[in-house]
Amino acid sequence: MLESLPVYLQVIVGGLLLGALYALLASGLNLIFGVLRVINICHGELMMLGAYAAFGLFALWNVHPLLSIPVTFVLLFLLGIAIEKTLVERVAGAPELSSLLLTFGIGIILTSVAMNAFKADFRSVPALTGSILLWEIALPRARLASFATALVITGGAYLFLKRTRAGKAIRAASQNALVAETCGIDVARVRLFAYGLGAGMAGAAGNLIALSYSFNPEVGHVFNLKAFAIIVLGGMGNFAGAFWGGLLLGVVEGLTGYIATAQVVDAVAYILMLLFLLFRPSGLMGSAK
Amino acid sequence: MTRMRRITSVVLGISTIYALSVLAGLGPAALAAEKPVIVGASISLNGAYARTGEYQKRGYEMWVEDVNARGGLFGRKIELKYYDDKSNPNEAAKLYERLITVDKVDLLLGPYSSPVTKAAAPIAEKYKIPMVSTGAADQAIFRQGFKYIFQTYTPENFYMDGVLEMASKAGYKTMAAVNEDTVFAKGTAEGGIAKAKQLGIDVVFREAYAKGVKDVSGIILKAKAKNPDIFLGGSYLPDSTLLVRQAKELDFNPRVYVFSVGPGLPDFGKNLAKDSDYVFGPSQWEPTLKLPGAQEFADRYKKKYGDEAAYHAAGGYGAGQILEAGIRKAGSADREKVREALAALDTMTIFGAYKVEAGGLQVKKIMYMTQWLNGKREVVWPENVATAKPILKAPAWKERK
Repeated sequence: MLESLPVYLQVIVGGLLLGALYALLASGLNLIFGVLRVINICHGELMMLGAYAAFGLFALWNVHPLLSIPVTFVLLFLLGIAIEKTLVERVAGAPELSSLLLTFGIGIILTSVAMNAFKADFRSVPALTGSILLWEIALPRARLASFATALVITGGAYLFLKRTRAGKAIRAASQNALVAETCGIDVARVRLFAYGLGAGMAGAAGNLIALSYSFNPEVGHVFNLKAFAIIVLGGMGNFAGAFWGGLLLGVVEGLTGYIATAQVVDAVAYILMLLFLLFRPSGLMGSAK
Repeated sequence: MTRMRRITSVVLGISTIYALSVLAGLGPAALAAEKPVIVGASISLNGAYARTGEYQKRGYEMWVEDVNARGGLFGRKIELKYYDDKSNPNEAAKLYERLITVDKVDLLLGPYSSPVTKAAAPIAEKYKIPMVSTGAADQAIFRQGFKYIFQTYTPENFYMDGVLEMASKAGYKTMAAVNEDTVFAKGTAEGGIAKAKQLGIDVVFREAYAKGVKDVSGIILKAKAKNPDIFLGGSYLPDSTLLVRQAKELDFNPRVYVFSVGPGLPDFGKNLAKDSDYVFGPSQWEPTLKLPGAQEFADRYKKKYGDEAAYHAAGGYGAGQILEAGIRKAGSADREKVREALAALDTMTIFGAYKVEAGGLQVKKIMYMTQWLNGKREVVWPENVATAKPILKAPAWKERK
């Protein structure tokens, strides 16, 4: 057992590295849910578009996916604003089913458009390969970079929400839209901005996908389902909760893949989600509401 | 009066045509036979198989053009009638039903991919219309005792034969086998395991992973602990890529890597750059193969479409050639006679050998083996068609530049 300790550490490190990517995606999803009360089912598809943007910039001008993050972030931020303004705003505050159907539909449209534009071929950017050895633990370069980037972006967004005036307005709108409105906060604008921010974060996650994995227009699907499970783990609407939920899922998936078999890894997210719903429905950090 | 005139003109018309045909030395029977033979197919032009479906369609179309340029079959032109199944099996089943009942096609060619073919085959069987299937390797489709379906592709259980024979000759004794947990991918891995056992290679590690897997480090670490000579994956492009990337990251160093689908595609080299080197990949067909007509087909294809012919296109053309050989052997496009001919046929196309056993299962076409060497995919097995010598000892990751 003792001699296999480094192997377990290796597995946990691998889980954390993947978990950070989950965290980045899920915290954006939770941000949107917190403010708009809309479960953004097309979140993974926004990420997929980010991945193609990163791939395109690499293929055309050889821009490293880590360097093109600001570009994809801004592109997806703008796209998010356009989607919110024209479509999602209409269902904010409506029963959940309308927003589910709407964002689900947007997801299908984005996938189909991408399928037509980019075809179903799997893409990947071989910009960063191999590992750095730290003691006996191999730290894969690409996923280490993506881990650090995810931390920086989620941390930045967290500080923004905590420290700045605009961030406080977002949190106020998230806690109680009605009271926020009466306090003079333009809640509609906050919704617009929060959706844009969430979409931008999904776009950045796309860059990290392009760096570490192969993707095609259907890649968003798996991540959607996982991100949804993560926000339940972390606490619906809780930004930091989604972050810890993402890391937790990454590690538990890694350990399951090593101790049991890789076949059951995809079930882990849902089993965790069920357990949380049964025993701690508010999630890791959610309020009891 | 008008009625009278109409009858007169019809009579006149018929006798004119009759007279003309007699004059042309054809006779009335030949006149009827000039109706084209309509060959129906559903093809994926949208959805997940859009690209490969398009390739297969191009193969079909080139074959149709060639047959017609040679004057058709028994004086009849071939006409291809197709619809887009959007890569959807249910849609394909409906379209074949439509081709048969509404468009009244004479014979059928298959759609692209095993899942879509699985849905389409029972329709052809139901209406007793021979279908030459291409783009489908799944042997299960051709083991249902169907009488009207004929396989062009090499079935998935033979995918790994070539590399394992070479590895066994090189003295390798142990193998780790993994696969995506889906029918075809699993079939290729299990075919490889059966072959390995025949050759006396020990399977020291065996595991499956779910489709869309994002982290295989658990698998790599467990396989690494067994230190196998051969690492075999029943896998597609994204997971093949991931297995190689994480093998490098975790310093896992088997001597032989082989994956069922990924390495056979140009994108494997693009997605992995030089890390793709030394990886083996089975191939249904390569444009460089020394088969009768293969290179000529590849040249013409490139001239016509601008890109290198993929095996899907060659498979489409080959399926057409098989159907053509069936019709020639049958002496007409009569469905029953064509069916009998296809069941007994033993022939060669630009795509390779063709011969089926009961159920339509392909038994004669072999799988070629390619290997990535210096960023290029070379045919390395069998020797008589090889374009390069295989390297059966991939250097460890740390020894690579």
